Amino acid sequence: MSNIPKHRQLPDKENRLFKELLTQYEYKQYKKGLKAADTILKKFPNHGETIALKALTLHSSLPFPMTVAGLTKQEEAESLARLAVKKDITSHITWHVLGILAKTRKDWDEATRAFAMARKQDSENIPLMRDSIALYLHTRQFSQAVAARHQHLLLRPTLRSSWTSLIIAHHLNGDMTEGIEVYDQYLGIVKNDGATSSEKAQLLMHIITMCMEAGQWDDALRRLENGLKDGVLSTRGQVTQLKAEILMQLGRESESEDVWRALIEQNPDNLSYYDGFLRTKGYEIRKSVTLDSTSKIVSLLNSFAESYPKALAPRRMCLDIARGDEFRDLARAYLVNGLEKAIPSLFVDVKGLYVDLERMKIVGEIVEDLIQTLEKDAGLHDDDSKAPPTALLWAYYFLALHLAHPAHPNPSYDRSLQLLSTALKHTPTLPEIYMAEAMVRKRAGDILGAAKAMEEARLLDGQDRFLNCKAAKYWLRVGEVAKAEELTAMFTKKDIATSQDLTDLQCLWFLQEEGDSYRANGNLGMALKRYQSLATTFQDYEDDQYDFHTYCLRRMTFSAYYSLMKYEDQLRSHPAYFKASLAAINIYTRLHDDPSLKEEKLTAEEEAERKKAAKKAQKAEQKARKAAAATGEGKKEDQPVPDEDPQGSKLLKTETPLDEALKLWKPLELLASSRIETWTTGYQIYIRKKLYLAAFKCLLQAHDIDPRDPNLHWEIIHFKQTVSAVPDLAEPVKMTTDQLLPSLIPSDADLAAYNANLLSQHSSSPAHILGAAKGLSELDTTRPIPSSSLQAIESTLSRLAAHDVPPSVAIMSSALKLMKELGAPISSIDSLRDTYKSRVPLASVFESDEELKRRRREALEGEEVANGVKPDL
Amino acid sequence: MDIRQATIDDFLGMQNANLLNLPENYTFKYYLYHALTWPELSYVAVDPRGRIVGYILAKMEEEPTDEPSGHVTSISVLRPYRRLGLANRLMKQSQEAMVAHYNAAQITLHVRKSNRAAISLYRDSLGFEVHVMEKGYYADGEDAYGMRFLFKRKDEESKAST
Ligand SMILES: CC(C)(COP(=O)(O)OP(=O)(O)OC[C@H]1O[C@@H](n2cnc3c(N)ncnc32)[C@H](O)[C@@H]1OP(=O)(O)O)[C@@H](O)C(=O)NCCC(=O)NCCS
Repeated sequence: MSNIPKHRQLPDKENRLFKELLTQYEYKQYKKGLKAADTILKKFPNHGETIALKALTLHSSLPFPMTVAGLTKQEEAESLARLAVKKDITSHITWHVLGILAKTRKDWDEATRAFAMARKQDSENIPLMRDSIALYLHTRQFSQAVAARHQHLLLRPTLRSSWTSLIIAHHLNGDMTEGIEVYDQYLGIVKNDGATSSEKAQLLMHIITMCMEAGQWDDALRRLENGLKDGVLSTRGQVTQLKAEILMQLGRESESEDVWRALIEQNPDNLSYYDGFLRTKGYEIRKSVTLDSTSKIVSLLNSFAESYPKALAPRRMCLDIARGDEFRDLARAYLVNGLEKAIPSLFVDVKGLYVDLERMKIVGEIVEDLIQTLEKDAGLHDDDSKAPPTALLWAYYFLALHLAHPAHPNPSYDRSLQLLSTALKHTPTLPEIYMAEAMVRKRAGDILGAAKAMEEARLLDGQDRFLNCKAAKYWLRVGEVAKAEELTAMFTKKDIATSQDLTDLQCLWFLQEEGDSYRANGNLGMALKRYQSLATTFQDYEDDQYDFHTYCLRRMTFSAYYSLMKYEDQLRSHPAYFKASLAAINIYTRLHDDPSLKEEKLTAEEEAERKKAAKKAQKAEQKARKAAAATGEGKKEDQPVPDEDPQGSKLLKTETPLDEALKLWKPLELLASSRIETWTTGYQIYIRKKLYLAAFKCLLQAHDIDPRDPNLHWEIIHFKQTVSAVPDLAEPVKMTTDQLLPSLIPSDADLAAYNANLLSQHSSSPAHILGAAKGLSELDTTRPIPSSSLQAIESTLSRLAAHDVPPSVAIMSSALKLMKELGAPISSIDSLRDTYKSRVPLASVFESDEELKRRRREALEGEEVANGVKPDL
Repeated sequence: MDIRQATIDDFLGMQNANLLNLPENYTFKYYLYHALTWPELSYVAVDPRGRIVGYILAKMEEEPTDEPSGHVTSISVLRPYRRLGLANRLMKQSQEAMVAHYNAAQITLHVRKSNRAAISLYRDSLGFEVHVMEKGYYADGEDAYGMRFLFKRKDEESKAST
């Protein structure tokens, strides 16, 4: 007792109270606890550990969901915790509390530091140690985790988890051999560890993968076979797959072949099993297949198709392999089977082949031919059997989607629509046909018509959430946020806004699409709000792993845990994060260029609508408050904390848009470095920050990926023009660019020729045509841009409608936007729009604003009529 | 369409498919809970571009029961990929895994009374039977059928074959 420092000692009475306080906290008697703390503090206001426990008690009593009053208490708890450490810096309690609070705030770094400090004061405190280890793992400080695990093992050598956790810590630290050694020691020491058989299996499986990772194939195989022999492992699934792979590595192909066969027997629809099997025969089908081996592979696959007549995979894989006439025969049989069985998913199944245009062409020819036969009412087989009547319907449907597929060199939307309307005459109530129509119209640029068609599909099967989501998405694509939310609300919680529920449920597609919709409508605040919610969702996904650092050790699911750690490390390479970040960064750079965008410019109409919505919200709130008052929860401070930024205006008004952009971009730099947009977007941020070297590095990275990328192209010109106009360019920048810029763009090149060159080399690529036009706009830096340059740009852009250029509605729209940005006269914008319209007559985006408004009203009103007979949900 | 055991990086795709198909949704952590407790039981159907078009999210009953019992938390297939036999295959793979790895004696699930497609899949294709009706089981008040399928025990099987 004597080594308790003076400032921590309490007289008996207070000491008793302090002990009570600890118990009260443990039993969740927070009110009593707070009272006890206050009694002690009245006499000893500087007693750090009491302050800490008060902070902890207060913090634990916070309401959930957080209320206004709760927020103040939370702040109080936080500042008490900090004060406590100041008052007693050598107490494990004060640090521990600080750590716990930081942990609930998800400030992992601060929590890790605080727990480490706490452990310093009390190095044998096991619970403290466990939390601390979890934090080391969470913050990827693996060598510290290993050290702490060693200490844990010394203190608790008979505990199973002391050993197993050390193994996994070694593994995460990259030291497989050490981990495996610990495992073997453990087997010798802890005889009866009480693990269930599936837990034993999980551990052994993980050890085997560690051996494999360390390249110890023989050892891996020995352990695996012993595990099977002892009945610890089951032959089903992964174990057997590991065995097949190990045998391959050991060069024992024919044994491996048998094992792959056994796997195919277990699951004849697993593609990697066939890949593995074929590898034992020397075929790497995901890499390349030589012409003379295709027939051999096809016949191997066919024998599986015969052994497993119900399996889809071997037949479908044949189509990926076969070529020429063999392909034609197999594809025909495959299509006939699908059409006769009336499988709606036949097209989505087959379209995977369209990465190869030759195969795509053959499929198209076959289906045209089948339709001709079916229209003549003839059978599809050599005998005189007849095809079922639905076969023709599904053949029309197939061909319609085929003709509108984005890979199709000559899409023919009109014909697609004709085919679908014929199909509709057969079966007017099939949602699939309307879905297909929506798809075709979308591709043709008629997004309004597409939304209407998807809505028709939805109305035919109101119970199906998939159709509901699709219809909502299509409404969002035409900017009808309210209509879309009306639909999504049919499947979300009734007591909160549908957008809130979908945010809580981490519905990424909705956040992205609604953000895009707001962005297209010019409501940049709400767009940012949705994109930022999506980014926050990824933060939540990252934080989610925390509990599993301890949970998995208990459940002994080590392999799954190990892959979770690896997965979380590259979480933000996910395409959803990528897409939302780029969209938000685009807004932030625009805000930087034109701060006036931060002030909303509403038309009178929008203003009125906004007011109406605000009134409605206010009424709803009042109603909710009244209801709450009735149940006695009416006090304002007991209300849940309201959304601080319901309209996204705080986000919009940021003083530092480029820093916000950079925050979103940083993970991409690390995790999406192979995507060229990462770099072309990074350039946009850095050049505005006038960080010329960083901007230049982005260009170099992009150039490594694709030197002819159309965005990179004009950015290079932009960069050259920008740095040459900077009077006092820093010496290192000058040196680097002088040295390296010539590798991107010939230094003495006539820039105009450089630009013309891109166009002539990619004369039928829409993206390159736009890139070249942008290049022209960068070549002439005078603003307003002289009409001679503008004319050149316009004539380049008009090529987008040329007949040898596949029509791209999206790029045409960007072209019109570019013209607007450059301040082109209305007349020339209109004439360009007309040119586009005649190339893609269905594209609703090229209608005049009035016409668009009229059609939109019509579409929605049509809906209201239709909604009169809304199907029950 | 590839049918394989789900790995960690499939669960976001699963969450996406679930949000598109069904009104019963879960945050990601609940998916992780499945993935990190019974890694062998969840399966996915994947299209050639790697997109998850169907999934089964499955677990073992945590409450101690007489015999280990598997449970389907969620199963669905994106509409354009339905009627291809994917749900059927996903279910069978998961069932086999329940028996092989957890010695399951049965598998249970809930289904809306009005969900004809799903009921037909479970009852007609897979041999499940309704063992209980739960009134107002779903958030919107709809009733659920509790359905169940008893696995044949290995020893019974071998008895039957001798
Ligand atoms: C239920 C669902 C999962 C079925 O998926 P699926 O991959 O299309 O099903 P399968 O192709 O494997 O069908 C197997 C069998 O189920 C039955 N079945 C499936 N869909 C059916 C439907 N719409 N109507 C009648 N029976 C149907 C059939 O017996 C079918 O065999 P068959 O095609 O040889 O006639 C799918 O419709 C779906 O995702 N629906 C929305 C989500 C949902 O309801 N999930 C179930 C929650 S409990």
